[in-house]
Amino acid sequence: MDHFPTNWGRPRNDAFDPYGTYPIHQRPAVKDNFAEGVQHTQQPIVTGTSVLAIQYKDGIMMAADNLASYGSLARFKDVRRLHAVGTSTVIGASGDMSDFQAIQSILDDLVIDEFTHGDGHDLGPAEVHEYLSRVMYARRSKMNPLWNSLLVGGFRDGKRFLSYVDLLGTTYSAPSIATGYGAYIAIPLLRAAVDGKQDQLTEEAAKSILHECMRVLFYRDARSLDKYQLAIVSEAGVQISDQIQLDTTWNFAEGIRGYGAQTQ
Amino acid sequence: MSIMEYNGGSVIAMVGKECVAIASDLRLGNQALGISSNFQKIFQMTDRIFLGLPGLATDVTTLKETFRFRVNMYTIKEERELEPETFAHMVSSALYERRFGPYFIEPVMCGLQKTHDGSYKPFIAATDLIGCLNFAKDFVVAGTASSKLFGVAEGLWEPDLEPEDLFETCAQTLLNAVDRDAYSGWGAEVYVLTKDKVIKRTLKGRMD
Amino acid sequence: MPDGSFAHPQQRQFNPYSDNGGTILAIAGADFTVIAGDTRQSEGYSIQTRYAPKVFRLTDRAVLAVNGFAADGNMFVKKVKQRLEWYRHAHAKDMPLRAIARLIQTMLYAQRFFPYYVYNILGGIEEDGTGAVYSFDPVGSYEREACRAAGAAQSLVQPFLDNQIYFKNQKAAPGTTHPAHLPLSDVLSIVIDSFTSATERHIEVGDGLEIYVVVAQGRSPQGLDAFRGAQELSTQPNGDRMFIIRRELKKD
Repeated sequence: MDHFPTNWGRPRNDAFDPYGTYPIHQRPAVKDNFAEGVQHTQQPIVTGTSVLAIQYKDGIMMAADNLASYGSLARFKDVRRLHAVGTSTVIGASGDMSDFQAIQSILDDLVIDEFTHGDGHDLGPAEVHEYLSRVMYARRSKMNPLWNSLLVGGFRDGKRFLSYVDLLGTTYSAPSIATGYGAYIAIPLLRAAVDGKQDQLTEEAAKSILHECMRVLFYRDARSLDKYQLAIVSEAGVQISDQIQLDTTWNFAEGIRGYGAQTQ
Repeated sequence: MSIMEYNGGSVIAMVGKECVAIASDLRLGNQALGISSNFQKIFQMTDRIFLGLPGLATDVTTLKETFRFRVNMYTIKEERELEPETFAHMVSSALYERRFGPYFIEPVMCGLQKTHDGSYKPFIAATDLIGCLNFAKDFVVAGTASSKLFGVAEGLWEPDLEPEDLFETCAQTLLNAVDRDAYSGWGAEVYVLTKDKVIKRTLKGRMD
Repeated sequence: MPDGSFAHPQQRQFNPYSDNGGTILAIAGADFTVIAGDTRQSEGYSIQTRYAPKVFRLTDRAVLAVNGFAADGNMFVKKVKQRLEWYRHAHAKDMPLRAIARLIQTMLYAQRFFPYYVYNILGGIEEDGTGAVYSFDPVGSYEREACRAAGAAQSLVQPFLDNQIYFKNQKAAPGTTHPAHLPLSDVLSIVIDSFTSATERHIEVGDGLEIYVVVAQGRSPQGLDAFRGAQELSTQPNGDRMFIIRRELKKD
């Protein structure tokens, strides 16, 4: 029970003054009774690791493995971290998977809203990225971030699009981008193979570069999986592949002490 | 507050054509409070070696005496003059002896090294506070204004400067760098070392 | 816990800021202004991209350079541009430079308790046709100056500018005085030298350089049209003229 009559009939939050009673005389601070019930994401829980993406001759390509980890536990091994938005955009997410699902819902709703207008306009990759970066920046500004690093790629009106946005609202664009460990392990390989050669790079070459990078990541990133999906966005629209199995060899470990099974 | 910034002060050394220059400010401070405007940080070790000691003032005094002692011992025992490069290694090992309780000094040194044909080759070097040597070919800097010194020197320095031009370059670099540093300044001195003379000039600088 | 793992409970707090490196710089001449910035965007030791512009055209005679936390910087530029558009709709003209400067102060100070982590430098042509540079701190303190560097390599570049633009610690030859303003070609050389020097000694500076030049209405662009790679951005035939010059910087 609030024993101060001046507080009666007022909103819980006195940041605004709908009754125009300004100047508001000294009133005791009102506690928001629901404040403790509101939770913010303080750390990611179920996480996805790197997403890789490059530009190539006819569009963009993006790859992400199918693992969602719970700490060091490989918890979900059939998770789809690439998601089509509309007809010319794909997004890939690393970071918290529940936050990513919330983002998928937001974007799907957005696409439906846009479709319902029936005005012949729809959202391309640039619009999706702009919207997404505003959402991410707005949430970080409320100190309640969506704990992800996202890549947005697409192809529209004959132009490629590839950009990044993260939990801080930081954005950038480049011919090759990677999130998570990919930024350290795959980017040196991707920059050497892609940057400056985007207009010549064929679909086959682009595929094999990403395949090789996913393999290197699987060898060195302990939170990765040997099963990934590849998204290709070109004139033909968005195609997200079936799961691709990485072939790996481990017989070299045999001869390395401390790596393979110990014989002595 | 870092102990390296407790007393303030900066030193720079540059290579020229058959000459070298070393310059320092003259401030001694107690954090933000200025104490003295004639605190020397550059010391002549031999006829052809100069040593700059920016950092904690008490260690400036200690190391100056330590190196005077060590250089004298070397000269007596070896019965020959100490070469700058040898001196650089002497500085480095003296500092590394105190690897886990270091002197808070980042020495900068310069000199003229005797070559086989009897001429002199300019030499500069600097170390960090535990004696990691840096033999640069252009210039070396240290002290509280080091980042500013780097910026200005990178813009002003050019190869093969004659002694008078080297003096001007070195003086301008130091003066403009310390004017943007709260812990350095209050006057400056520049030494230019050529094969037959040492030119010392004390500069007026901003006193704020 | 028996193993003492909860003996010291740890609190981790979300940090809404980051530092994306880079450096910006602006120099005002008598009737022109040069505003420049490198194009590298980094976080920690990683280069995120080699081309992320930090310098933006606001009006025909105003250019804004932003440096610090990139997300805040982009959002801030977006909001300034929006306010300038509203001004155009209300007053049927572009906002004058000194008014943009005050607007930026107000907008920055409005965020006093959750600041935009951004250093701003505004350059352009004043209503009286003079070149002007305004520099700001993240919470809106500002002043008009002749030159200013900001960002990761501020400490490397600013003392060099003091020496080369303000002639600090230099004495003019007997019977002469230092020029109050330098010609455009000298200023461009100093700007390019500043960035090559900063690139040499600072890991967060490099990749590319974008230089905007605004020349007051009716004044000679001093051979800028012939300057290698200068591209004109002017919208009006007889108004102030704006140019952009791009240069490569070392990528290591």
